[in-house]
Amino acid sequence: MSDDGSLALLLLGPAGATGLYWMLYRHYRNTDKSHAFEHETAVEAKPVTGSEHKVDEVKGTRESSIRGNNVRAYRQRVQRQQDDS
Amino acid sequence: MSNAKPPPPPLPPVSGPGSPRDVPPLPGQFPIDPATLPKPIRDELTAPDPVAIDTSAKELKDGANHCPKCGATDIRHKHGSDLLVCLYCRNEWQGARVEEEFGLGTGLDELSGTIIASGAKDIAADSAHLMSFKCSGCGAEVTVNTESQMTARCHWCRHVFGVNEQVANGAVPDAVLPFHIKKDDAIARIRQFVDKRQMFALKEFKEQFTPENVSAVYLPYMIVDGRASADVAGQGEIETARYTRGSGNDKKTYYDADVYAVQRHVDFTVDDLPLESSSERGNHDTSVNTNNIINTILPFDTKNAVKWNASYLHGVSSEKRDRDVAHLKPRLEDQLLSIARHQVLESVSRYDRGVRWEQESLDVHGTRWVSMYLPVWLYSYHQPGKNGGMLHYIAVNGRTGETMGSVPVQHWKLILAALTVGTILEGIALWILAN
Repeated sequence: MSDDGSLALLLLGPAGATGLYWMLYRHYRNTDKSHAFEHETAVEAKPVTGSEHKVDEVKGTRESSIRGNNVRAYRQRVQRQQDDS
Repeated sequence: MSNAKPPPPPLPPVSGPGSPRDVPPLPGQFPIDPATLPKPIRDELTAPDPVAIDTSAKELKDGANHCPKCGATDIRHKHGSDLLVCLYCRNEWQGARVEEEFGLGTGLDELSGTIIASGAKDIAADSAHLMSFKCSGCGAEVTVNTESQMTARCHWCRHVFGVNEQVANGAVPDAVLPFHIKKDDAIARIRQFVDKRQMFALKEFKEQFTPENVSAVYLPYMIVDGRASADVAGQGEIETARYTRGSGNDKKTYYDADVYAVQRHVDFTVDDLPLESSSERGNHDTSVNTNNIINTILPFDTKNAVKWNASYLHGVSSEKRDRDVAHLKPRLEDQLLSIARHQVLESVSRYDRGVRWEQESLDVHGTRWVSMYLPVWLYSYHQPGKNGGMLHYIAVNGRTGETMGSVPVQHWKLILAALTVGTILEGIALWILAN
């Protein structure tokens, strides 16, 4: 077996222990919970508009998704542009 | 030389804020008759306050809620309903829903500017928590501490008073949502919640667990309607090829992708977004408090909120609002941006390698703010520890029954369990490697 594979297998114990600890801790303390206002508020949106154009190509990357992917991290704020209006 | 000092000037008449006057002046009252003042001052004084929606109840201004049928003041909330009941003649009636009364459910598309209902006005800096009333039955003084109570009984003649006028201390909201979940139901829900969290719970918590001590609390919220537009910009990637290089154990996966500059715009309206209007409850730092628990049981069916009447709060404690609209605006904008980002999610589904949003902007066209008391059953346990310990809440939504809580854990038990499982997993891993 390769070194990578055996290392991953050896990490199974610590990873399992940490994972279980956090899972149980959250089940009891619920520190990760909050009001899911994005889903639970009545929002009426007009059709989304926008634009896109190709700017670059990536060849032979080993990353399975774009670096800094935040498409589902709605609450993570990014640089705020001040509106003129 | 004579040391005789001139007599001190006569004291001004004892009136105004902080003076031992019988009853604080009602909103809009002025100690001097404005008709005697010069016209420019008179015009300024008599000009209406900048209130867009006046939700104050004129008929309740004297502090006594009379039964519309017999005139008695012993009014209670009928548990499990939105009804008020007169304990003298058993007459029952329903408070008016603010949604229809003040048109809060309509006109979202045309919202513009900041509309603030009268109960959500800014809190005056010099406002007092204690309010005293002159009992209209016998003339005695009755004091109500609006920090935690909104009703009081005259101890001489048993008249019941409620704080109904919208004083500037933030204690009287525009609307109230009466409790529907009864105490027995709340106890059962808390018990069920804790029963599912027994094994690793703190021993002292389990020993002292008495859900019968749950208390009914009205917590202050601002219910916000809004109309906004948001723009987001960033980069998205679409996978064009996926291939493996190497062989055997050195096999590695590589990806090719097209990169796009993506921009999205969305116009939207939000109906009844609840925001905590108490600075303490609005602090959701889970390392020092468990207020996120109370936040999680949102939302409430705020459409059914009824016009303020202190009788709904008889025997129930309440927390006073201490945040104004201006304080809550940054939180609102943050939540509106989150909603916008959620709204555009579907439109970027073709970017299968994800999108990295880099810039966002928000333009709030209009908002409407209504302050409300919302019903919560609260069970609390104080865990001693560093920095005053931690107050753990178990909260039940007084309308929907949604339950959430924080149960303190026995850390050594949790660590032991984690280590045991970790050791077993490691044993399996070593066995696989050895074979």
